[in-house]
Amino acid sequence: MTKPATAEAFFNEDFAAHAAELPGAGVPWLDQRRAEAITNFRKTGVPHRRVENWKYTDLKVALESANDVSSGTVAWKIAPVPAGVELFDLSNLADAPEWVSARLGKAAAANAIAAASLALARSGFALRVAKNTDVAETLRLSFSGDGHVRALIVLEEGASLTLAEKQAATGSFRNTGLEIVLGRNAHLTHLRVAEATNAIEVEDVAIRVAGDASYRAHLVNGGAKPARLNLRVTLKEPGASAHFSGVSVLGEESHADVTTEIYHASGRTQSTQLFKHVVGGKAQAVYQGKITVAEGADQSDSRQTAKALLLSPRAEADLKPELEIFAEDVKCAHGAAVGDLDADSLFYLRSRGVPEGEARSLLIHAFVEDALGEIAREDLRAELTQVVEKALPRAQEPLP
Amino acid sequence: MLDIKDLHVTVDGKEILKGLTLSVKAGEVHAIMGPNGSGKSTLSYVLAGRGGYDVTGGSIRYQGEDLAALSPEERAAKGVFLAMQYPVEIPGVTTLTFIKTALNAQRRARGEPDLDAMSVLKLVRQKAKELKVSEEMLKRALNVGFSGGEKKRLEILQMAVFGPKLAILDETDSGLDIDALKLVADGVNDLRRHDRAMLVITHYQRLLNYIVPDRVHVLAGGRIVAEGGKELAHELEAKGYAHIVKDAA
Repeated sequence: MTKPATAEAFFNEDFAAHAAELPGAGVPWLDQRRAEAITNFRKTGVPHRRVENWKYTDLKVALESANDVSSGTVAWKIAPVPAGVELFDLSNLADAPEWVSARLGKAAAANAIAAASLALARSGFALRVAKNTDVAETLRLSFSGDGHVRALIVLEEGASLTLAEKQAATGSFRNTGLEIVLGRNAHLTHLRVAEATNAIEVEDVAIRVAGDASYRAHLVNGGAKPARLNLRVTLKEPGASAHFSGVSVLGEESHADVTTEIYHASGRTQSTQLFKHVVGGKAQAVYQGKITVAEGADQSDSRQTAKALLLSPRAEADLKPELEIFAEDVKCAHGAAVGDLDADSLFYLRSRGVPEGEARSLLIHAFVEDALGEIAREDLRAELTQVVEKALPRAQEPLP
Repeated sequence: MLDIKDLHVTVDGKEILKGLTLSVKAGEVHAIMGPNGSGKSTLSYVLAGRGGYDVTGGSIRYQGEDLAALSPEERAAKGVFLAMQYPVEIPGVTTLTFIKTALNAQRRARGEPDLDAMSVLKLVRQKAKELKVSEEMLKRALNVGFSGGEKKRLEILQMAVFGPKLAILDETDSGLDIDALKLVADGVNDLRRHDRAMLVITHYQRLLNYIVPDRVHVLAGGRIVAEGGKELAHELEAKGYAHIVKDAA
C-alpha cells in the first residue's frame, strides 16, 4: 500500500485484505472481538483535530498527506526472556491459553486507535508474571517496522517487573496497543523510549491497577510526525497508584503528544505526573492530562505538573491539565507552565565565566532533571538521561 | 584597574546612570553608598555585562581595556566577579559541579589547562571550611533551598575560588544577621590583596564597620555626589542621605 485515498481507507482496506489471514482467524471469540473492534473503530473514524481529545494531533491529515504509508507486520523482540516471565506469541492465537483469551482486547473498545490495533494487529505477544514472582532482570522489549501490533502484560498478585520498551525509529506508520493488568500488590515499572522518527507513530496503553498495586511509567519522547501516546489508567481499588514522568525533546518539525487519562475509581488511590518538554525548531509538544475522581473515591490524591521550555520562536507547546472530581474529600493539584530559558539564571552562569552555549545546555539539563530523577533505579536513570542528552542538540539547533 | 568616565546607562529607554565617574586602583577597596533607586545595582550589572543595560555615553576601562565590549563570560575570565544581591537557584546542577564548570570555563578562556575534579574539590574544600560552607551544601543543587546567609557565603566562596582581580559586591549585607555578616566580611577581608580591587555596594554603613573601605563614594540620581574616606560612611549613618545629597545639589 502506498498513498491511501483516505485515512479510513487505509484501515478498512487493510482489514478487508488481511482479516482472514490474521493469527487465529476463524476462532470464534477472536473473530468476534476483532469484528467488534473494527465496528467501534468505524464508529469513531480516524481521529482528527475536531475531535476534542485529538485537537493537537491530526492523525487523519497526517495519514492523508503522507506520501508513503504501509501496514505490514510489526516486529517485536524480547531478548532474553527473563526468568519468571511466561511469554506467549500472538501468532499462535488459535491456541491461546485462558489467561490470554480472557483478557486480550478487553480495554480496547472505547478508543479508536486501540480498537484499530486490536482489529488489525498481525503480530504481538502476551506475557505473564506469576503470583509473588519478583523478576529481577529488566525485560527489554522493542518494536520495529510498519503496521499494527498488540500486546498484553499481566502481573499476578504480588508480582513485580521492570519493562524497558523501545519504539525504534523505523517505518512509516506504527500503531501499538498495549494492555496491562496488574493484580493486587503487583508492581510494574515501565520505561519507554521513542526514538525520533519521521514516521507516524501512535500507541495506546491501557492499564488496570488493583489494590495496593502500582504502575510507574517513565518516558522519553524523541518526536515523530506526529507521535501520540495514550496512557489510560484505572485505579480500581484502595492503595492503587500510578506515577508518570516524562521528557520530550523535540527539534525540527517533530511532534509529540502525551495524553493521559487517570480514573480514580476507588478511594485511597494516588496518582502523580511530571512532564517536561524541551521544544526547539518548529516542533510541537502536547500534554493532555485528564484526571477523574469517581463519586465516593474519597482520600484520593492526584498531582500533575507539565512544563515546556521553548527554545525557538516557532516552537509550540500545548499543555492541558484537566480535573473532574465527583468525590468530596480529595487532594488534587495541577500546574502547567510554558516559558523560555530564565534570563536571570543565564546571566548568573555567564557572569561566572560559563559561555552562553554551555550555560544554555546546563539550564536545559536542570529543567529536565527532576523528571528523570523520578526513575528510582540509578542504572536506568543513567540510561534514559543519556538518551535525553543525545537528543538535546537537535532541539537546540537554530531555525534555518 | 577600573576607570569609569562620564558613564551614561539606560535601561528600557530610561537613563539610570547620568555621568558617573569613578576610579579604583589595584589593592583598594571602594564603597559605593546610596539611597534606593540611585543606580547602585545598575552600576554592578553594567560592570558584569548584563543584557538590557545600554551604555549610551562615557567609558569603562578595565586594565586598559574597553570593558563594555566584552561578553559577561569574557569579563569573568579576565577577572571581573560580581557577588550578586540575589543569587539564582539552579535545580539539577550541584554546587560543586557548577563551581568546577565555571572555574574551568574561565581557565580555558585564559588558555590554562582544566583542573581535574580532585584538584577542584581540594581547592573548594579549603575555602569552604573558612566560610563554614558544609560538604552537604556543596552536594546540593546550586542555591536551591539555601538560606539568605548560605547564598551569600556561597557567593564569597566562589569569589575565593575564582580569585578575581576586580570584585564587585552588590548589597552583600542585605538579609544577613550580624553573625552571618561577620562571617561574610571576614571572608571578604581575607581576599584583600595588593593586586585586587574591590567595589562594595551597600545601602547601609553597617557592612563598612567590618569591611573598612579606602574610599567612600555616594551615588545619587545616577552620579557620584560626594566622596571621602571611611568617615564619610559614618557621617551618612548619622545624618542620612538627604543631608549629603542636598549639600551636593
